[in-house]
Amino acid sequence: MLKITIILLIISMLTTSIRMVFRATIWDKLLALNLISAKTILLLAVYAVYKDNIFLLDLSISCGIIGFLGITLLSRFILRGGRQK
Amino acid sequence: MISNLLLILSWIYIIFGIIGIFRFSNMYARLLTSSKIDTAATITILIALMFKSGFNLFTLRLVILLTFVLITGPVSNHIIARSAYLNGINLKGEDEK
Repeated sequence: MLKITIILLIISMLTTSIRMVFRATIWDKLLALNLISAKTILLLAVYAVYKDNIFLLDLSISCGIIGFLGITLLSRFILRGGRQK
Repeated sequence: MISNLLLILSWIYIIFGIIGIFRFSNMYARLLTSSKIDTAATITILIALMFKSGFNLFTLRLVILLTFVLITGPVSNHIIARSAYLNGINLKGEDEK
């Protein structure tokens, strides 16, 4: 059961990255970043339970924190108008 | 038993997430659906994992993870939508493919 979940998560990450990263607008890329970071948290949690390894769960929590921080700072950077100042 | 049911439910959410990305043309519609489906899939999967792993250190970490994702998920999507809106994508949105 868990194996199929892992495969489905990987497929959804692949389609998200392929479909969304090559879009025109920046915010599609930001959305792709958000989705992929959320999916990695899930993937880590499912793999941790699948392999009964407790340390991976701590990894997924920190990955969530990093993903969230990355998105907030990136969108603030874009809001400020990017690099052309 | 319950965890298997919840896992199947999360599969449906993930498949809807994949379809949602391809179908919607408007920027905000895509933003809305994919983020909502994504958070829903996260909740179901984490609760299913909690049921599967019983009552030990795993569930403690999973509870922390669930509360964290519940707080930061929608907030980060809101931030993206806000920056998209403030920087000029009008609400009607262009129908670019």
